[in-house]
Amino acid sequence: MSQISNSSSLKGKDLITIGIFSSIYFVINFIFMLLGGLHPIMWILMPGFIALFTGLPFMLMCSKVPKMGAILLMGVITGLIYFITGMFTVVILITFVIACVLGEVARFISGYYSVKGNIVAFIFFSLGMTGSPLPIWIMHEKFMAQISGQGMPDSYIKSLERLSSPVMLLILFFAPIIGAVLGAWISKRLFHKHFEKAGMVTNAS
Amino acid sequence: MHHRSRSGSFLDPRTFLLLLLIANVITFSQISLWIEMGWIVFVDSMILLSGKYKMAVKWILLFCILLLLQYIVLPASPEIIATIFVILVNYSIRMFPCLLIGSFMMREISLRQFVLAMRKLHFSEKLIISLSVTIRYFPAIKEEIYHTKDAMSLRKIKSSKKLEAMLVPLMMSAAATAEELSAAAVTRGIENPIKKTSLLTLKLNFNDYACCVIGCLFLVGTFILK
Repeated sequence: MSQISNSSSLKGKDLITIGIFSSIYFVINFIFMLLGGLHPIMWILMPGFIALFTGLPFMLMCSKVPKMGAILLMGVITGLIYFITGMFTVVILITFVIACVLGEVARFISGYYSVKGNIVAFIFFSLGMTGSPLPIWIMHEKFMAQISGQGMPDSYIKSLERLSSPVMLLILFFAPIIGAVLGAWISKRLFHKHFEKAGMVTNAS
Repeated sequence: MHHRSRSGSFLDPRTFLLLLLIANVITFSQISLWIEMGWIVFVDSMILLSGKYKMAVKWILLFCILLLLQYIVLPASPEIIATIFVILVNYSIRMFPCLLIGSFMMREISLRQFVLAMRKLHFSEKLIISLSVTIRYFPAIKEEIYHTKDAMSLRKIKSSKKLEAMLVPLMMSAAATAEELSAAAVTRGIENPIKKTSLLTLKLNFNDYACCVIGCLFLVGTFILK
């Protein structure tokens, strides 16, 4: 079932596979994006949660499409749909582009079939979402002024102010790394348990 | 072959994309609620003009309720309720310009028209194929989740295993769909490098130009007020 075409450029089948898994990735991503609106701490941990739960679609996509451009395409699709919902900022755009390019490089160096290489790529890809809460730190004054101008409640602004410490910035970046490693580990176990038996994933190491 | 001349939508997909871009700029810059309200009145009257009365009324009512909650109800309600809902209401109001034009576009434009518009805008063919599959697969995910839920309720599944029981079938069917869809698409010549033709034709008409001009006025207004 899982025949992989040998040509190095993306073919119709690869494009469809990427499209379908991007769809699943986006849904999971979007759920946590919405949850991030509940409390600032959820927002800061959001990239970590997303990494934890999107490991399965990402790793499956990687094993199905061992070609250059897969991660980039997934990132572009996610970005474009976010653009329709109006939750896209310039900062996310930048982090997303960097993350996708680094992910592509990681896969290129590791030769596309290595699980470890894919995990590294996934870590990079997950870090792309840190662009969402990043304005809290890099544009602190402007961001705070903007958010209070929007009529956000005082308690929200206060807790955001409390959370905007350098320590939380570290947490922001470490959460997706830990989440990605855990997510990849879970998906590896699930691969063993379900997908290899069904013949959907070849046991590459 | 009946409606060859005009693809049948009120606005061209490209106009929708431009309006979406403007809505994004308005959402970002957040200069005043007035611009936002003006934008919503503008888009809502477009929906009215296109004959979707129910939709127009529904959205404008929703917006009024949100404004009412934000400025009158929530400041007067107890703090616990307020803190939970204020953020939700606030985010909804902020996203409203994009949501409104986005859902109008979804109702008005078929995926075929959208693909054609992306081709005309010289998007890469690879991106067009994947993106249209992604958009088309959203309803399939919903269906798949309902099926899985039904199957789960027939068996006793421990709540610790619920997530796994939900995700694994979703992935399985996604992979299977990818195989089937690719086979179908390859049969229909998706890998043919020749430029694709379409039965539909896209043409900008008066509505499009008028909307573009009004949209640009909003953009200018946003920058002047900044």
